[in-house]
Amino acid sequence: MERYARQVRFPGIGEAGQERLAAARAVLVGCGALGTVLANVLVRAGLGTLIIVDRDFVERSNLQRQVLFDEDDIARDLPKAVAAAEKLQRINPEVAVRPVVADLNAANAEALLAGADVVLDGTDNFETRYLMNDACLKHGVPWVYAAAIGAYGATFPIVPGETPCLRCVFAESPAPGTLPTCDTAGVIAPAVGVVSNLAAAEALKLLVRAQDKLNRALVWLDVWENTYQRLELGAPTPDCPACQQGRYDYLDARVGSYTLELCGRDTVQVVVPGRPPLALDELAARLDGVGTVTHNASLLRLRLPEHEIVVFPDARALVKGTTDPAVARALYSRYVGL
Amino acid sequence: MSVRVRIPTPLRTLTAGAAEVNVDGSSLGEAIARLETQYPGIEQRLKDENGELRRFVNLYVNGEDVRFLQGLDTALKTGDEVSIVPAVAGGAA
Repeated sequence: MERYARQVRFPGIGEAGQERLAAARAVLVGCGALGTVLANVLVRAGLGTLIIVDRDFVERSNLQRQVLFDEDDIARDLPKAVAAAEKLQRINPEVAVRPVVADLNAANAEALLAGADVVLDGTDNFETRYLMNDACLKHGVPWVYAAAIGAYGATFPIVPGETPCLRCVFAESPAPGTLPTCDTAGVIAPAVGVVSNLAAAEALKLLVRAQDKLNRALVWLDVWENTYQRLELGAPTPDCPACQQGRYDYLDARVGSYTLELCGRDTVQVVVPGRPPLALDELAARLDGVGTVTHNASLLRLRLPEHEIVVFPDARALVKGTTDPAVARALYSRYVGL
Repeated sequence: MSVRVRIPTPLRTLTAGAAEVNVDGSSLGEAIARLETQYPGIEQRLKDENGELRRFVNLYVNGEDVRFLQGLDTALKTGDEVSIVPAVAGGAA
């Protein structure tokens, strides 16, 4: 217990809290700027099991703010979930860290999130968050919303059956183009650090069952403009479709393949849920001579004159060099097959 | 009735960078209308084409969500503080 001595001395956690942490399972969705901070805090704190779900791989532009990654991860072309899990195991081998290189979607959300003691939001879009909200409400799993952009961000915890859910607070996501995105506003590490550490504190409270200490409010802050606001959330919205009417619109949209434009990346993601795993070495052999092909156990990279396709074993692909879903789908269909 | 409106970062491009703005209004709807005359374009960030509050922006009067007050009809008095809190999507992935 030497590892946790200072934390156990803190009366809010103590030995009982530490034991609860060691028995707990958390799922982190999205292992970018927010996610790496959340994972770092919880693994150092002595969580029992951490499952990291992330669809992306490490790139140099991540290193400015994504605290678990380094140049080696780029040289090895590692998926974020795998790179983070390796680093976290070196930090604390007592925690079981399981990387899941996948996109959270309607087909896999329940299997990944049900049964968790807490779900952590490290995502970058509202579609995935509404899906997490649905799955967590359905299975009674508390989760913590967190988001940051530029120098500002917001966070609040959601406890099914108790507090307002994400759709109570934000009934709809902003329409594209109405608010700044990561391309237009950028992001600085301190904003992400503050917001994600506030979210991590809520996760710790949930895991050690200090529910009476939960910050039942939306915290909105800006580290550049020096604002901090704490806005009481009150009760759930009486007609909320998700938490009051039990209608899980995002979870129930169990659709076929779909595409998602990645914010500010000139990249479109193609997802094919429910497909058997791809053998990357076989695909590499098939693509031999088509373009420049490299692969490791976690991903295959096909470089074409104007595009690059990164294929993962779950049949998902990132098509770089376009923002047009139709182009991405066509390239996927041509080289991977739909 | 002069009230203080706290403008969130993403809307400050419309207020010439001002983080707080004082406007007159005896109700929230009136205060928003005044805000619009001073800073054209801000109203449509807060209200949809039917004149309803947008579902991804929350408004608070003295820290209380106006959904639990009287929405745009919520009465205001001098010294009240109105906060505008839009949804934040980024996760800086």
